[in-house]
Amino acid sequence: MKLPKLLQAVLVVVAVYIAFKLVFSVGLQQPIPSSLLTMYMFFVVVATLLVTTATEESAKEMSGPIKALVEDPSKKTIRNIVFVLVPLLAGWMTYSNLRPSFEAPVELRTIHPAPPGSMKAFGKSYDLAKLENPFRKYQKEDPEKFKALVKEGGAVYYKNCHYCHGDKLDGQGQYAQGFNPLPLNFQDIGTIAQLQESFLFWRIATGGPGLPKEATPWLSAMPVWKDFLTEDEIWKVILFLYDYTGQAPRSWAAH
Amino acid sequence: MKMRTKLVSMLSIAVFAAPLTSYSAQGNAENGKKIYDKRCVWCHGEEGAGDGPAAERVNPAPRDFTSGMYKIKTTPFDEVSPKDEDIFRMISDGMPDSSMPPWKDMLSEQERWDLVAYLKKFAGLENPKKELDFSKQVKTSAESIERGKKLFLDRCAECHGETGKGVSIKKLKDDLGFRTWPRNFTKPWTFRASNDPKDIFARMSVGIPGTQMPSFADPSSKKKLSDEERWDVANYVVSLADSTKEVRAENTVVKASRIEGELPSEPGDPKWMEAEPSTFLLVPQIIGQERFFTPSNNSITSRAYYNDKDISILIEWDDRTASAPGDPKAAEIAEGEVSADAVAVQFPVTIPLEMEKPYFGHGDAAWPINIWYWNTGEAGASQVTKLLNATGFAKKDERDAAKAGLVTKGVYDKGTWRVVMKRPLVTGEKDKDIQFVEGRFTPIAFAAWDGTNGEKGSKHTMTTWYWILLKPKVGMSVYFIPLIVAGLVVGAELLWLASARKKKSS
Repeated sequence: MKLPKLLQAVLVVVAVYIAFKLVFSVGLQQPIPSSLLTMYMFFVVVATLLVTTATEESAKEMSGPIKALVEDPSKKTIRNIVFVLVPLLAGWMTYSNLRPSFEAPVELRTIHPAPPGSMKAFGKSYDLAKLENPFRKYQKEDPEKFKALVKEGGAVYYKNCHYCHGDKLDGQGQYAQGFNPLPLNFQDIGTIAQLQESFLFWRIATGGPGLPKEATPWLSAMPVWKDFLTEDEIWKVILFLYDYTGQAPRSWAAH
Repeated sequence: MKMRTKLVSMLSIAVFAAPLTSYSAQGNAENGKKIYDKRCVWCHGEEGAGDGPAAERVNPAPRDFTSGMYKIKTTPFDEVSPKDEDIFRMISDGMPDSSMPPWKDMLSEQERWDLVAYLKKFAGLENPKKELDFSKQVKTSAESIERGKKLFLDRCAECHGETGKGVSIKKLKDDLGFRTWPRNFTKPWTFRASNDPKDIFARMSVGIPGTQMPSFADPSSKKKLSDEERWDVANYVVSLADSTKEVRAENTVVKASRIEGELPSEPGDPKWMEAEPSTFLLVPQIIGQERFFTPSNNSITSRAYYNDKDISILIEWDDRTASAPGDPKAAEIAEGEVSADAVAVQFPVTIPLEMEKPYFGHGDAAWPINIWYWNTGEAGASQVTKLLNATGFAKKDERDAAKAGLVTKGVYDKGTWRVVMKRPLVTGEKDKDIQFVEGRFTPIAFAAWDGTNGEKGSKHTMTTWYWILLKPKVGMSVYFIPLIVAGLVVGAELLWLASARKKKSS
C-alpha cells in the first residue's frame, strides 16, 4: 500500500524531529537548545515542501486531502476536529514563546580553537608552527632517560593538574564539577590525540586567559601555568599526558 | 533445558555469593605492583607510605599503606586487618569528596584484586580472624529515629554537633597529626563510604582507625551502645540529610522573586524559607597565586528577593566554627592564626548583552567587576561590609559601601552562617556599580573564607560564574496574545470554509 503524499511528508518531518532530539539527548548527552531546534525544523519543513511539491502532479496530490477536508461534506467530523485543534495549537505555541523562561542561556564555545602563529612566554617568542617538544627525541634515542622524564612529568601533573583533569586523566577530578566548561578528558581520543604538542604547550602556558574569544576565555578555569611552572616542566607534563593515556601526539612527520 | 540453565545460573550465583576465605588469594601481587606503579604511586608513594608527589596537596591526605590501618573496614574494632572486600570496595568505588576516584571503569575486576594482594604486602597484613557482626538491622521508623536522636545528642554531639553538622568544640587530629574535621551529616553525598544505614552502623561499631572516631561497640568504653542502639543512631544520621545543600548540575540560576513591600533583611526571617534555594559547588582557589588546597567546606546556597527599589540576597554555608580574630575559643580550635569568616559575591559592573563577560577571576581591564564583601569582624567589634571594584587578581579598589546603599548582616547558628546582602537595584554611580534589570540573566559568583581553617586573602573557596535572575512578573499579555492568535486562526478557517461553500454552490 502506498502512503498518501501528505502523510509521507508529515511522517518525514516528525521522524527528523525525533532524530534531532535523540541525537542530542542520547548521543551528545545534552538537550538541544529550543532556538536551534526551531531553526533546524524550519529548514526541514521547507525542504520537505520543496520536494513533495516539485511537480504539479505531486503538488495536487499534496493539497488534495486538505481541499477535500474543507470541501467534502462526508469529512465533516474530521474537519470539525482539525478546525478546533489548529487554533488551540497556534495559541499554545504563541504562549510557549511569550512565557518568560527562567532557564540559563546556552553558551556555545569552540573547544579546540585555532592557535595563534606565535606566542610569548619565559621571556622569548615561540613559533607555534615549528615548535617541537625538546624531550620527544629521547623516546627513541634513550628510552631509559625518556622514562625518567615521563615520571617527572607525572609528578608535575599530580601536584598541579589532577584536581580538575582527574587522577585517571578522565576530566573528572575532585573539583571538576565546580567549573564550566568542564575540564578536558585526556583519555578521550578526540582530545590530545588530535593535537600537536605545540598546541598543548600553548594551552598550558597561557591558560584560560590565553584563549581567543570564540573559546570563552572568561569562563575557563585553566591557570596561566607559565606563572607556576618552568618551560621544561610543561614539556615533561606533556610527555606524561601522552604516555599515561597511551596516545601519540599528532605530528607533521606522520603525514 | 530451560530448567537446567536456570539451575546452572542459580548455582553459579551461589558460588560467587559464598564467602571465600581469602579473596586476595585470587589476586596476583606481582601484577598488582605493575598497576600500582603506574596508577597509585602519585599519591600513595612508591613504598606505599602515602608520600607520593601529590600527597602534600590533596585533602584528605592519601592513605599510608605501611601502617596497615584502613579507615573504612568491616572487621571488629579489635581486629587490625580489614577484609579484602573492604580494600576492593574502596578501590572500585573510590571515596566521595576526596581525590580517590572510582577505578572500576578503568581496571578490570581481576586487576583490582591484584592491587588488593599487593597493598596488603606493604604492612604484611594477615587475613582477619573475625568479621563484624551486623546483628539484626532495625528498620527505620519515626520511633527508631527518635531513640537514635537521644543517643546521638548524648554520645555523638560532642564532635558532630547537636545538629549533626560537625560543629567543632575541640581540635581533632588523626594519628599522623593531620587536622581532621568531623563529618557533616546533613551532606551524605560527602560520606567516604555511603549513607546506607549499614555503612553508618559499621563506622560506629568499628570506629575510624587512625582518627578520633572511636568504636561504640567496645565493651570497655563508657560510650558503648548496643547493636539495636547503633542501628537507631544510624537511622537518625540518615534522616539528617538536607537536599537543599545538594549541588545539581542543571541548577545554575539564583531566581529572585518579586515581592511587594519590605524585603527580608534579617538572615533569620522565615520568609527566606519560601524562596527557591540554589546550591553551588565551592572549590578551593587553585588558579591564581597564592593557591589553596585544603578547604573545609564544599557548597554554598543562595536565595534572593527583590521589590521596586532593592534586591536582597541570602547566602548560606555550613562552617564548623564561627571565627573572629581575638576570640580565645576560636583560637583553641583554629589551625594556626584565626582569621575572620567571610563571604563575597561578584557581579560584572555592566550586565553583558552578548556571551562575553568578565574573566571569572575578578574581571579584567575591559570588564571590571563589583565585589560585595562581608566578614564577621574582630571579636566584640561589629561586622564588616566592603564594596570593592576589581579588574583582575589583586587589582582591587575599595569604595564607599554606605554611599552605594550596600548593607550586610550575618548570623551564625549551629554550624551555619546566614548572611544577607541588600542594595538598591540602581545606584548613583552607574559606571561603577551593577544596575539590576528585571528579566536579565546577570552573572554572579561566590567566595567564602573559613577563618579557622587558615583561609585568608587568596586562600579561600569559590565558585565559577553562575546567574542571578530577577524573575519578571508575568503580565496579562502573555495570556491575551495567544487568545487573539487562536481567534485569528478560527477566523481564517471560517473564511476558507465560507469561500469553499460559495465555490461549490456557484
